[in-house]
Amino acid sequence: MLTLVEEIVLLMIDDKGSFIPVRETAVDYSIAGATLMGLAFANRIDTDAEHLKVIDSSETGSALLDRALTLITSSEESKLPSAWIEVLATDEARSMREMALDSLIERGILERSGSTFIWVFERVRHPIVGDREERAVKRRIADVLLSDGIPEQRDAALICLADACGILPAIFSVQEIKKARPRIEQLRKLDLIGREMNGAIEEIERSIIIAMSHMPH
Amino acid sequence: MEFEEQKHGEVVVGLVSGRVDGLAAPDLEKNLNDIVERGDKDVLLDCSGMDYISSAGLRALLVGARACQQSGGNLALCALKPECKKVLEVSGFFAFLESFDTREDALAAEQDWAGRGA
Repeated sequence: MLTLVEEIVLLMIDDKGSFIPVRETAVDYSIAGATLMGLAFANRIDTDAEHLKVIDSSETGSALLDRALTLITSSEESKLPSAWIEVLATDEARSMREMALDSLIERGILERSGSTFIWVFERVRHPIVGDREERAVKRRIADVLLSDGIPEQRDAALICLADACGILPAIFSVQEIKKARPRIEQLRKLDLIGREMNGAIEEIERSIIIAMSHMPH
Repeated sequence: MEFEEQKHGEVVVGLVSGRVDGLAAPDLEKNLNDIVERGDKDVLLDCSGMDYISSAGLRALLVGARACQQSGGNLALCALKPECKKVLEVSGFFAFLESFDTREDALAAEQDWAGRGA
């Protein structure tokens, strides 16, 4: 099974192997959120509004999740879930994207073409060679959005992440997204890490708008 | 966490008490799945003794509610303490789960929520 980070990275790649244009900051926060959600779904961490606790420090089997778990376990101070999102939404998030790409290539889902010495996200293309996983992820998202039943938490998390980094328009039409917006809003609230992540992204976007409004014309 | 079952007609009442955190959540999930697997479909969780619920606890509730719904039944909650009710409210859980102030209210309204699954 793919990790949430791998699923999000997969959804960011178009049919030609290029990355769809998304807001870089939102992607970093989404990768950070996906990592913490992945640890929560693997029963390694637990959260409430004021705490993020390690409940099991054993390895998950995913190098990407284990890297984040080690970082959290080795921290001497207790941090809020929102603070851990800030910690991970930095160069860590870029490293995790790379690890997710490597893992997808290893699994035969992506193929790297072009120079590996150029920053992967800008220049190197990753044509999708095994689209079974990509289609399965998109189908899961569509199934949850088009129903009104109780979703699996993992699928709700995936929709929350896809919406946060703005990749839903690459999967659905504007009309489809508009129609599904109430359901998306409902699912975005379900996970505490997802709410904290969305709050952080909205805060940054507000700051950017304020900064731009103060720029001289 | 303690979990105690009682049967009221077709409804299984699960009395949850203590902290439903990351350590207790797998037990809650197993208890709910066991109820559904043996053929009972409608579950009322009496949360009057539940002091705390974390994200892992919420996930266990969602898994249990989904299992009930897929078997043709439903999961409802009652007697939530204000602090736990707030956690569920903020998380939007009441879009998926019905909640009643008391066990009596929930059982009196059984026909409104029970047997409403897939």
